[in-house]
Amino acid sequence: MTKNNRSGDNQSALGELLFVREVEQFLFHEVSLLDDRRFEDWTDLFTEDGYYWAPAEINQPDPASGVSLFFDDVPMMRIRFARLRHPRVHSQIPPSRTSHSISNVTAKRSGTGDRVEVEARFQMLDYRPGHDQRAFGGKYQYVLSRSDAGCFRIASKKAVIINCDDVHLPVAVPF
Amino acid sequence: MTGYSNDHIASLVRPDQVHRDVYEDPDLFDLEMERIFGRSWVYVGHESQVPEPGDFFCTRVGLQPVVMSRHSDGTVYVVYNRCAHRGVKVVNEECGNAGRFMCMYHGWTYDTNGDLDFVTQSEGYPDFEFDKVEHGMGRVARWESHHGFVFANLSPDGPGLRDWLGENSDFLDDVAVSAPDGEVEVTGGVHRYLYHGNWKMQVENLIDMYHPAYSHESSSAKGGQQFSRREGDKGGIQFFEKRGKVKSMDGLGTHALPNGHTWQGGLPPVENMSEDHRAYVALLEEKHGPNRTREILIKKRHNVIFYPNMAMQELNPHIRVIRPLAVDRTEIFIYPVKLKGAPEKMFRDQLINLNRTHSPTSLVQTDDVEAFARAQEGMMTSGNEWVLLARTGPQESLESGRIRTTGTSEEGMRNHYRAWLKYMCADRPE
Repeated sequence: MTKNNRSGDNQSALGELLFVREVEQFLFHEVSLLDDRRFEDWTDLFTEDGYYWAPAEINQPDPASGVSLFFDDVPMMRIRFARLRHPRVHSQIPPSRTSHSISNVTAKRSGTGDRVEVEARFQMLDYRPGHDQRAFGGKYQYVLSRSDAGCFRIASKKAVIINCDDVHLPVAVPF
Repeated sequence: MTGYSNDHIASLVRPDQVHRDVYEDPDLFDLEMERIFGRSWVYVGHESQVPEPGDFFCTRVGLQPVVMSRHSDGTVYVVYNRCAHRGVKVVNEECGNAGRFMCMYHGWTYDTNGDLDFVTQSEGYPDFEFDKVEHGMGRVARWESHHGFVFANLSPDGPGLRDWLGENSDFLDDVAVSAPDGEVEVTGGVHRYLYHGNWKMQVENLIDMYHPAYSHESSSAKGGQQFSRREGDKGGIQFFEKRGKVKSMDGLGTHALPNGHTWQGGLPPVENMSEDHRAYVALLEEKHGPNRTREILIKKRHNVIFYPNMAMQELNPHIRVIRPLAVDRTEIFIYPVKLKGAPEKMFRDQLINLNRTHSPTSLVQTDDVEAFARAQEGMMTSGNEWVLLARTGPQESLESGRIRTTGTSEEGMRNHYRAWLKYMCADRPE
């Protein structure tokens, strides 16, 4: 009995580990799409009614309480990224290069288990030739949902950079 | 003090050109801070940012830190953010509420109107007479408000606020009356962005209807990315006609007022059939009747510049504050303006539209900022020391002192430089 229990515990601990690892792998993939400028593929990770939000105040309760650095639904993301492909998008000639890193990932299932709430820390380096390199960093909060095919989709992604209320030069690529 | 004579300053501004020094010379920038931001009315903030006694809001007039506060008697004050003792900036948060302001250095306290409240260990000043105003944080020379918009003037001389505003005060009236409750408030947060360019480039850009088709091609042309900026818009503003021909914005009109103020004619109206808009119109009609409401709904102006440091737009109503930092560095703060009494959903849409157009990540403003930085760099060349502001169109002078001309005329910018000269050389004998 005791042995079986322990084995059961190990089993569930292992399952948890694999689950967090699976979430991490998804996040690594997600931000690599931004760094590789595969913006359309990044947009496709979101559910139809998904959104990306980067508040402009550190304790901003919601996007309706004030202006935000980013608050894009999927149609807006498509417009934003199609603009970045325009041959005369002057503020992105030459374009920015970014490098996102993610750490401190925690994930917990909620509801029937199809919904996953994720928190992580991140850093994004941002360099546009001719300008100083910038470092942004802060907290990610995701709500992921599992599609019928078993893949994760992003229902919402919130990126709070610690200097969200600073006075920024233009930012082109999402945090 | 710099060694610039008024004659030298005057030689930098020709009727249709300005010398690049006005954008590039740090000594002239220092003089501007003293003579323009120190002599003109300068926008500080809106009274709704300090609704309760003890509320404060910190900003700058030119480079000088000031506090706008609501005193315990309910009155709004504008005082320098400086301890009378050793010059330390007293209030160190952008906004908040305080019973008193306390200096961190030696614990002196000030009342919420800046008056000296308490000197710690005051027995150490046996021979010194403290006066609560003279040894307060220091009131700026003048401050006045119109519909809650607070302006300060560091100089005791010159016209009062209403005279200085001239016809721009009608615009503030129009904004207020467009709110069902008859007043506005500034409670929707703030977009803050920076550019590596002179402050005047932003001011000039606001009256420049010549640039959008080119600067903003990526967000306005066919093939560029159309997005709606207001309810009822179908896909955004088109600057191009068939075969890529640029549509002229001349029809909008440019209006040049005394004191450097300028405005553009309003964008053509769109039909807005949304439920919220209908509810909003019904609220206005209830108060003003259908005829007056129809008038109120016609937006007569697009960008309205309160020279030197503020502009407002009625499209997604917002205040733009121009905050010079150095000759080649400027901060822009964008405050949404909430029409009190209007349906909440209207304000939420307004915030979303402002994210698209005025955030540091926006699809529009980022290209302007790029133009300012490249102008700051391009002007360093010695091949041509003059910046051309020669574009004209048919124009007429109205009785009010206002000049009306075409939308892409550079008369608005020439008007800024007439005011610039007036402030910069104010002590020049006529």
